[in-house]
Amino acid sequence: MSAADKKKGVGADLIIPAAALVFTLYYFWSIWNSPWTAQVSAFFIGSILIVLIVAFTLKTAIALYRKEAHLGVGELLAPRSLLSVRIGLLMMTIGYVIVIRWAGFTLTTGVFLFGAMLILGRGRRKRLIAIVSIAMALSGYLLFIVAFETRFPRGPFEELMRSLF
Amino acid sequence: MEFSADLFISLFFHTLGYWWVIIPSIFLGLIVGAIPGFSAANTIIILLPLTLVMNVEVGLIFMVALYCSSRMGAGIPAILVNIPGTAGAAATPLDGYPMTKAGRAQQALAISFVSSTFGGLLTTVVALLTMPWLARLSFYMHSVEMIVVMLFGISLIATIAARDTLKGLIAGFFGLMIGAIGADHVYATPRGTFGLLELYDGIPLIPALVGLFAVSEAFLMIEGESILSQHGKDMIRRSGWAATMEGARIALSRWWHITWNSLIGLVIGVIPGAGASIASFVAYQQSRTYSKTPELYGTGHPEGLIAPESANNGVTSGTLIPLMILGIPGGATAAIMLVVMQYHGVILGPALFANYPELGYGVFMAMAVTYLIMIFTILPLARYMSRVTLLSTVYMSPLVIAFTLVGSFVPREYMFDMYLGLAFGVIGYVARKTGYHVAAILIGVILGPLLEQYFLRALRMSDGDLMVLFSSKIGNVLWVLLFVSVTFSLVVQHRRRTVVPSQSTVE
Repeated sequence: MSAADKKKGVGADLIIPAAALVFTLYYFWSIWNSPWTAQVSAFFIGSILIVLIVAFTLKTAIALYRKEAHLGVGELLAPRSLLSVRIGLLMMTIGYVIVIRWAGFTLTTGVFLFGAMLILGRGRRKRLIAIVSIAMALSGYLLFIVAFETRFPRGPFEELMRSLF
Repeated sequence: MEFSADLFISLFFHTLGYWWVIIPSIFLGLIVGAIPGFSAANTIIILLPLTLVMNVEVGLIFMVALYCSSRMGAGIPAILVNIPGTAGAAATPLDGYPMTKAGRAQQALAISFVSSTFGGLLTTVVALLTMPWLARLSFYMHSVEMIVVMLFGISLIATIAARDTLKGLIAGFFGLMIGAIGADHVYATPRGTFGLLELYDGIPLIPALVGLFAVSEAFLMIEGESILSQHGKDMIRRSGWAATMEGARIALSRWWHITWNSLIGLVIGVIPGAGASIASFVAYQQSRTYSKTPELYGTGHPEGLIAPESANNGVTSGTLIPLMILGIPGGATAAIMLVVMQYHGVILGPALFANYPELGYGVFMAMAVTYLIMIFTILPLARYMSRVTLLSTVYMSPLVIAFTLVGSFVPREYMFDMYLGLAFGVIGYVARKTGYHVAAILIGVILGPLLEQYFLRALRMSDGDLMVLFSSKIGNVLWVLLFVSVTFSLVVQHRRRTVVPSQSTVE
C-alpha cells in the first residue's frame, strides 16, 4: 500500500462542523436584536461550539499540512458499489414524504415499499416483494387508521374504504 | 395514610383478578411503545372514550398496564434495530444494539425485560411504602436543583466524547444549538426557526429521534444483506431458551445495578416535568462513571443496557406519586389519568387513600401486578422477537423508513414533521458515517431546551444574579455530587488510558 493510500479522507468529517457553524451563525443573526433572555444560553452554547469547530478545523488543517490526510469525502459514500442503490432509496424516500399528502398513507406506503424493496433487491423476487408490500401497507392501514383511528394522511384508498364500510 | 399487610394482600389478589384487562393492555402497550411516534399517552387519548365508559377501577388498571408495558416496548426496537420507540429509550441502543449485532439479541432482550420488570416492581414497592415523603420531594426541586439534574444528563455527552473528544463535543453542542430552536421562554421571540411557524414550539422530539436513529440506520443497514454478521446469524439461529435464561441470569446477578438505577428513575420521575429520557441518560452516565469496566460501555455491555431500562421503568412509578398525593401529574400519561379520574369524580390527595384505599393504593398495586405478569408473558417472547434481526435488509430498511417517518407525523399531525424527520435522517447519516455520535446530538436536542427553561426561570427569579445557582442547600449538594461524578469519571478514564494506551473505540 502506498503512502497516498494510507492517507485518511477528512473532507466528510468537516460536513457536520460546517453545518453546525453555518447554523450557529444564522442563529446568532436571528437573535441579534432580541431580549437578553432569548440570547443568553444560545450565545453561551454557540460560542463554545464555535471554539470547538475552530479547534477541529485546526486539527484537520495540521493533518492536511503534514500530508497525513486528504480532503476526500469517499468515507461518506462508501461502499461505492451501493451508491446508485442508496441514491435510489433516498429519491424514493423523498418521493414518499412528498406524495403521501395527496395519495394517502396506504397507497403511498405500498408503492414506496414495493419500489424501495425492488431497488434494494436489484429487481429480484418481484412477486414476494409485491406480496410483502401490499400486506404491510394493508396491515398499517388496519392497525393505525382503523384500529387506532390515527389521522394519517388520507387518500383515494382510505376514502374508498370509508365509503364502503 | 394507613397501609396494612391485610390490605396489601387483598388488593394484590383483587388486582390479579383483572388479568383479563392487564394482559391485552400489556401487548397493546408493547406495540405502541415500540413504534416511534406512538406512546402510552396518545394511545390512551385515542382510547379515551373507551376508558371513560369503563368502571373507574378497570379504566385505571388498563391505563397503568398500558403505561408500564409501553415503557418496556420502547426498548425492543432500540435493541433490535437501533431505533428507540420513545425518547425515554434513547440511551438503550448505546449497548443494546451492539449486543444485537454480535448475535446476542435474545440475551439483550432478556436483560432489558428483567431489568425493566424488576426495576419497575421494586420502585412500585418503594413508592407504596414511601409515598408521603417522596411526594414532598417535588416541593424541594426548584429550577436551580433541576439545572443540576439536567447537567447530570448532559454530562453524558462528555462521556461519549471520551472516544473522540472533539467530535463528541461538537455533536453534543450542535444538538444543544438545535434544541435551542423555537420561541424563547420569556418573551416568545422566535429564534433560529428559519421563519417556519412549525418550529416556534421548538424541535419536536419524535422527528429528531426518528431521523437521527431510524432513517440513518435504514440507510446504513443496506450495506449488508443483514444487520448481523454470519457469526451473529448462526448464533441467533442456534440459540434456544438458554440465551433467554442467560440474559435473565446476567440481569439478576447485577441486582444492585437494577436497584440503584431504578431508584434514580423513581426520584427523577417524582419531579413534575422531568421524564424518562432524563432518567435514562442520568442513569447511564452514573452507571458508567462508577463501573469497574467503563471502557466496555458502548460495546454491548449488559450494565449499559440495564441502567437506562431499569431507570426509565422506575420513572413510571415516580410520575404517579405527585399525581395521587398532590393531584399534580408527573408526566403526559399521568395527566391523562388525572382527566379520567376527575371525570369519574375521584378527588386526588391524601383523602383518597383514607376514604378509598383500594383506589389510591390500587393504582400502585396494578402497576406491581402488571410487572409481575409482564415477566411471565414477555420474557419467553425474547427468543422469537430476536428472530426479527434475521430479516434481510432488503425488506427491513424500507419498512423502517416508511413506518417511522409516518410515526413522526403522529404526535402533532403536521406533514412538516415528516420532512423534519427526513432532514434529521440526513444529519444522522452524515454524522454516523463520519464518527459523530448521534446519541450526543439527541441528548442536546432533548435536554437543551429543558436546561434553558430552568436556567431562565432561575435567573428571572433572582433578577439576573448568577449566584442563584448556588443559593439552595439541596442544589449545592447536587453540584458537589455532579462535580465528584464528572471528576471521578475523568480520573478513571485518565488512569485507564495510562494503563491501556490503545483503548478500543466503538461507536
